[in-house]
Amino acid sequence: MTNSNPFLIHAQDQVVVKNPDEKSWVFEVGKNGNLWVDFLQMTDDLDVLVSLQGEAAKCKINCAYLTNKNNNLNINIKVLHKHKKTTSEQYIRGIVTDESAVSFKGIIEIPKSSQKCDGRQHHRGLILSPKAKIEATPQLEIWADDVICSHGSAVGPLDQNQMFYLQTRGIPENEARKILLSSFLGDLMPDEFSDTIQKWMDENA
Amino acid sequence: MAALLEIKNLHAKVGNKEILKGLNLVIEAGEVHAIMGPNGCGKSTLSAVITGHPSYVVTEGKVLFKGKDLLKMTPDERANAGVFLAFQHPIELPGVGLAQFLKTALNAKRKFEGKESMDAVAFMKYMNVRATALGISNEMLKRPVNVGFSGGEKKRLETFQMAMLEPDFCILDEMDSGLDVDALKVVGQGVSVMRDAKRSFMIITHHDDLLQYVKPDKVSIMRDGVIIKTAGAELVKEVEASGYDKF
Repeated sequence: MTNSNPFLIHAQDQVVVKNPDEKSWVFEVGKNGNLWVDFLQMTDDLDVLVSLQGEAAKCKINCAYLTNKNNNLNINIKVLHKHKKTTSEQYIRGIVTDESAVSFKGIIEIPKSSQKCDGRQHHRGLILSPKAKIEATPQLEIWADDVICSHGSAVGPLDQNQMFYLQTRGIPENEARKILLSSFLGDLMPDEFSDTIQKWMDENA
Repeated sequence: MAALLEIKNLHAKVGNKEILKGLNLVIEAGEVHAIMGPNGCGKSTLSAVITGHPSYVVTEGKVLFKGKDLLKMTPDERANAGVFLAFQHPIELPGVGLAQFLKTALNAKRKFEGKESMDAVAFMKYMNVRATALGISNEMLKRPVNVGFSGGEKKRLETFQMAMLEPDFCILDEMDSGLDVDALKVVGQGVSVMRDAKRSFMIITHHDDLLQYVKPDKVSIMRDGVIIKTAGAELVKEVEASGYDKF
């Protein structure tokens, strides 16, 4: 796969997809609808709006970003819980190196009329070089009171104690780093992207 | 006979604090050597310096392993030369499966030795024999390294890793802290099975729990960053009877 910003839509029941340009997506999920989409961003910005507009609509957005050189990416993901009893999950993980920078903004909006909603957003970022940057802005706009909502964001360097532990087992530094980077992404991304990810790891770990 | 490990006038610091202050120690091939000392005397620093932890800076002295300068090697080169550290607090590696981790480690060592990689079938056989001997279940092998294991299980897994990698020199750093009798027995059994005329052990501890299962050939007392006395196994009883203050 040569595309450096692949996406994969796993599920789209009762979903209207609008894709006005390569970097922008709008998903409107209707009653009892289900959306599951994966994005991998390496060079381009991403702007996603999911509108959960029918009862019990749900969505899962997985996004990984891998950036190097002096690439500068803006990733915006907004989930609007327009209807009651809607559910959303966002999992975002990214690795930045060289002089690249990523600005991630994740919004969960639940208006007052949308009771019994469940919105979750988790972001983790790894910074591999002193000149690389991640700016994460999780934003919750919750106006309803009977909802479940959680979010978390953690950004930092590779854990030196984990690196040391792998090395004390005879695993050379660059291989140890690759192991930790792969495990950091875990199974967030689908098999379809694994060649692209592996290539990036080989060149940047 | 040449010493397996020879430490001469070793000084090391973490930050600006000097912790090892001119330590001397010789461990012969085949020797089980206990290092005993009160908390804070620098025992764990010694194991970190021998294995090359980046937080510790050696300011003076030498560490020779099989006659080679260990301090010039990276941590993985030291491991592949035959040094193993069983951690006091094993590090969790979420998302890294134990079996895959061990296969990578074992094949890194084989590559270092100029041998071919072990294939999946040969590896499974090699691993299963050792896992069974130490009571490591299949289910444990599939889990991520050290994640969600109890303290005793983690120490058992360190022992298992030691059995898998068959190092020439094994450092057991406070393996007996917080272990119940059953887990102590497993660690002790692991050491006893591996003990032979060539392989040496450095057992770091502040009491005699593990030493009841593994009888040391030599015992050194460490205080304030130096070894102050080395003698035979009888020294353990002396420490248990009257503590470290008399040394």
